[in-house]
Amino acid sequence: MKMVTRTAIANMKYHKSKNILTGIAIFLTSVLLFLVPSIGFAFMDTEFTLVNQTYPTWHALFRAVDETTAAGLMAHHDIETGGLRSDVGFFYHENANITTCYMDSAAQKLYKVELSEGRFPQKEDELVVSEGMLKEFGVSADIGDTVTLPFQKYLSDGMDFAADEEFTICGFLPDNEASLKSHTFMALVSEEYLRNETPKEDIRYRFLFRVADADGQTTDEIEAKISAIRESFNIPETGMNINEDYLMANHTDPAFFTAIAIILLVVTAAGIITIYSIYYVSMAQRVQEFGKLKAIGATKRQIRQIVLREGLCTACLAVPAGLVLSTLLMRPILTAFSKTISQVLDSSTNQIYQNIIDSHEISLYRWEFYLFAAAAAFITVYLSLFVPMRKAQRISPIEAMRYQGTPVKQTLRKGYTDLTISRLAKTSLMGNKKRSSFTILSMSITGILVVTVATILSCANPKNGADNNIYGHYVLELNTESGNREHPEREWNNLIQKNPLTDNLKQQIEHLDGVEKVVDFTWLHIETDLEGSEEIGVSGLLGLPESCFPELKKGILEGDASWEDLLSGDKIILNETIRRWLPELQVGDTLEIQTSDGNHTVTRSLEIIAIGNYPYGMVKHNFLLTAKEAADSLLPEDCTGYFHVFADQNYDKTLENNLKELMGDRELLSMTTWKDEYEVLRTFMTIMRSACTAFLAILSMICVMNLINTMVNSIHLRKKELGMMQAMGMTGSQLSKMLRLEGMFYTISTLFLSVGAGSILGYAAFLWAKKDGFLSVAVYHFPFGAVLIVITVLTFVQLLLTALLGRSVKKESLIERIRFSE
Amino acid sequence: MSITVKVQDLVKYYGSGENLVKAVDHTSLSIENAKFTAIVGRSGSGKSTLLHMIGGLDRPDSGKVYIGKTDIFALNEDRLAQFRRKKIGFVFQDFNLIPSLNVWENIVLPLGLDGKKVRESEIEELLVQLGLQDKRSAMPATLSGGQKQRVAIARAVAANPAIICADEPTGNLDSQSELEVVNLMKKCVADYGQTLVMITHDEGIAQMADCIIVIEDGKVVNQS
Ligand SMILES: Nc1ncnc2c1ncn2[C@@H]1O[C@H](COP(=O)(O)OP(=O)(O)O)[C@@H](O)[C@H]1O
Ligand SMILES: [Mg+2]
Repeated sequence: MKMVTRTAIANMKYHKSKNILTGIAIFLTSVLLFLVPSIGFAFMDTEFTLVNQTYPTWHALFRAVDETTAAGLMAHHDIETGGLRSDVGFFYHENANITTCYMDSAAQKLYKVELSEGRFPQKEDELVVSEGMLKEFGVSADIGDTVTLPFQKYLSDGMDFAADEEFTICGFLPDNEASLKSHTFMALVSEEYLRNETPKEDIRYRFLFRVADADGQTTDEIEAKISAIRESFNIPETGMNINEDYLMANHTDPAFFTAIAIILLVVTAAGIITIYSIYYVSMAQRVQEFGKLKAIGATKRQIRQIVLREGLCTACLAVPAGLVLSTLLMRPILTAFSKTISQVLDSSTNQIYQNIIDSHEISLYRWEFYLFAAAAAFITVYLSLFVPMRKAQRISPIEAMRYQGTPVKQTLRKGYTDLTISRLAKTSLMGNKKRSSFTILSMSITGILVVTVATILSCANPKNGADNNIYGHYVLELNTESGNREHPEREWNNLIQKNPLTDNLKQQIEHLDGVEKVVDFTWLHIETDLEGSEEIGVSGLLGLPESCFPELKKGILEGDASWEDLLSGDKIILNETIRRWLPELQVGDTLEIQTSDGNHTVTRSLEIIAIGNYPYGMVKHNFLLTAKEAADSLLPEDCTGYFHVFADQNYDKTLENNLKELMGDRELLSMTTWKDEYEVLRTFMTIMRSACTAFLAILSMICVMNLINTMVNSIHLRKKELGMMQAMGMTGSQLSKMLRLEGMFYTISTLFLSVGAGSILGYAAFLWAKKDGFLSVAVYHFPFGAVLIVITVLTFVQLLLTALLGRSVKKESLIERIRFSE
Repeated sequence: MSITVKVQDLVKYYGSGENLVKAVDHTSLSIENAKFTAIVGRSGSGKSTLLHMIGGLDRPDSGKVYIGKTDIFALNEDRLAQFRRKKIGFVFQDFNLIPSLNVWENIVLPLGLDGKKVRESEIEELLVQLGLQDKRSAMPATLSGGQKQRVAIARAVAANPAIICADEPTGNLDSQSELEVVNLMKKCVADYGQTLVMITHDEGIAQMADCIIVIEDGKVVNQS
């Protein structure tokens, strides 16, 4: 066996250029195999750490739980820890939002409530506040001081009037930037206060808890457990809140693994194709070598081993080198990414983010990934050597002896009567159809991938995304929330009693500088007889003005609708996205809907006369669309739900401030802006784009190795042949021309395939992305930039290669080449 | 009697010091037009090196080669290549056909490189003369040694060069094909009035030549 290894090492040195190329391909493959999972997991870890530092640690909470149920829940075997919180009301302030509640010590831990000073309240009049909150009232106080503040209590049937109440401060909560900015604070009272204020049977808790044995379970499993507990206590689904972000952060989502696995498969496939094709192409050159070895008595097994060991020896050098490089790259890459992300994060989150990466809280270098990358790289090499190994062992000594240069299978060929340089190039390529097509195919696979991904990325225009997600430039909408007992004022039927989106406000907005128009939509909260509609939250009916009708009409996919149909009040258009959840809905179906303002309830049957697909910004998640007039006629109140403000430019700071000023009571209205949406999308896309570009660039480098190998080989193999042509009077420029034509053939065919198939696949990917809302792709853009880069890079590499190879051919004297034989 | 090739004080050394090989050592000779000249000598005596320089494939350390009136080493690489394809044809011991070209294409290759139009009837006549008429579309890999060498001869004479340089063209052939090939070459030379310079180690073949040059250690020791 020693002889086998020695021969393999000798071979490795002898076929230096081929082994350098496979070495580089293996090197780059292992870089990707390490970086992809490492960066993926580092990101996930950063995210998790961030969440763990900021989010409460309960898995779920049940609302409105009474004492008996709470005691029952506490004793449940699937609950590890349970905490109680009960909201007693809030300190009344015009601009600030100050929730006041009692929390038991378990709840304090689960909410990560820690005092900066003092202790938690015990006596009835004791209170924990934050300095920021006191400042809102213009009060400054210390521990032990008594303060008098307006307090609004929750009663069992709503809110009491605000009344001054006296408290003694016993402790302070820290303030953070976010809460100061949003004027949201929390104050804590004692258990005694709660019990004295509320009759025992009226006390309702939020029960927050962690599920037992959650470690190592998936999000789905934990959620299933939570639901089981909920059902066994007859708590309605609306009375439950799951801490999704926290669960996601601590229990892995299977989709994440799938994505990483797919990327790694692509890398491995590219590696295999490239290394295989490098060996495949050079095998022709080595027929004689293996034939001779066989002739002197090497067994099939020994030949296989020689090929395999040669590859593995190369890998032994390339894999560690790849791992070293990727280790060096990890930190700079993560820093670059976090810099990009920081553009959309508020500064406090940003600080935490940076700290996580800078401190060594997450492990960037995991030994599992080193092991994985190395193992996967070696397996890649083994798989790509599999066929060459079989081929080598099948070579017969006879074949090897008779072999002359390139093996030609044909015995006869029609051929040309006259020869020109281009015909010479052509016969040489055609004489080796298999090799030529193999090289072209394997290079095209990467090219196709590049063009496809580039198509998606070029369609992913943050402008389009923002245009799609925001109708107009500033959207004012009612801040409704249903089923939130802490904010009954946000119940829709309460809100419309005094709808803040008044005609007066509309006129004021219209008069602002830079505003072109304000389009108002009517929105009604409705209930339907559809099964499952409650869970997916299909509860909106949207009324659009006649000016939007052309857009409504244009989006129709099935059926038809005229403005008169919609005005009639019993015909509506269905938003197509809803069919993802309710696929049984058809044109012609009739829906029973109900809407109520609290005083009267209206019931209607509505016929679906059309199904249409519309930009998210226009229809949001509302599923029934009709004429504004028809929607308005359902209830006596003013049911305006949205003001879509169209401005003369995408963003204007003054206008935004003016709008904010007009909005006044921000509690009940919220504003989204085109600019914010644009910024978020832009940042996200920048990250996507850089990640994809880096990934594809490395992948392309792997494949360029293939081109280099094919060209080097075709020239190396034909050294003597080219020498003969020169002996017969081929000039240097004719030789260069021939080599250039051959190279151009590879380049142009690869480009045709890549751009052709890539465009088709890219278009398919675009259609899919558009349907799925992926990267808010909306309008098809051909990726001219990327195609231009592909063309330039490939042409450049090929020209450079031809020039270098041409030079190396010319450097050797003609006579050396004529005498050359292997 | 006119001289086609004139070699003046030609020198080509390989290596240096202990390993110095004087492959061609101050050699002068002339070769007559339209004659068959044989170069003989022991293996390693410098015959091939000399022939390569006569054919303009290799450059000497010093000395000159005139073909007709042209000092061929005064030409640059490309001019020399052009000169070669017009004036000189080569036949090698190991045939050196281009494997991806068929017989016809191999033969017309020098014409193609020179950008000349192929006169089909002339090449067909040549094929008949060399007994290759039914091998026109065959690929080199399918031919026997003798057939390959006949294709190589056809290639060498196709462009109707003034000089044909042959380096042991029969070295890889059995004695039957050997005689055939030499006779063919002689016939071509006679028919087209070309000059044939052939290296051979075969006494019998040398005797068929008009003139014999004997080389020993890079020097001409006898010319008759
Ligand atoms: N490229 C070269 N490098 C070194 N030595 C060479 C080279 N080419 C030829 N020689 C040497 O020059 C001498 C003459 O070789 P050659 O002309 O091939 O002889 P012949 O054709 O008579 O057998 C030989 O000793 C040979 O080893
Ligand atoms: Mg020789």
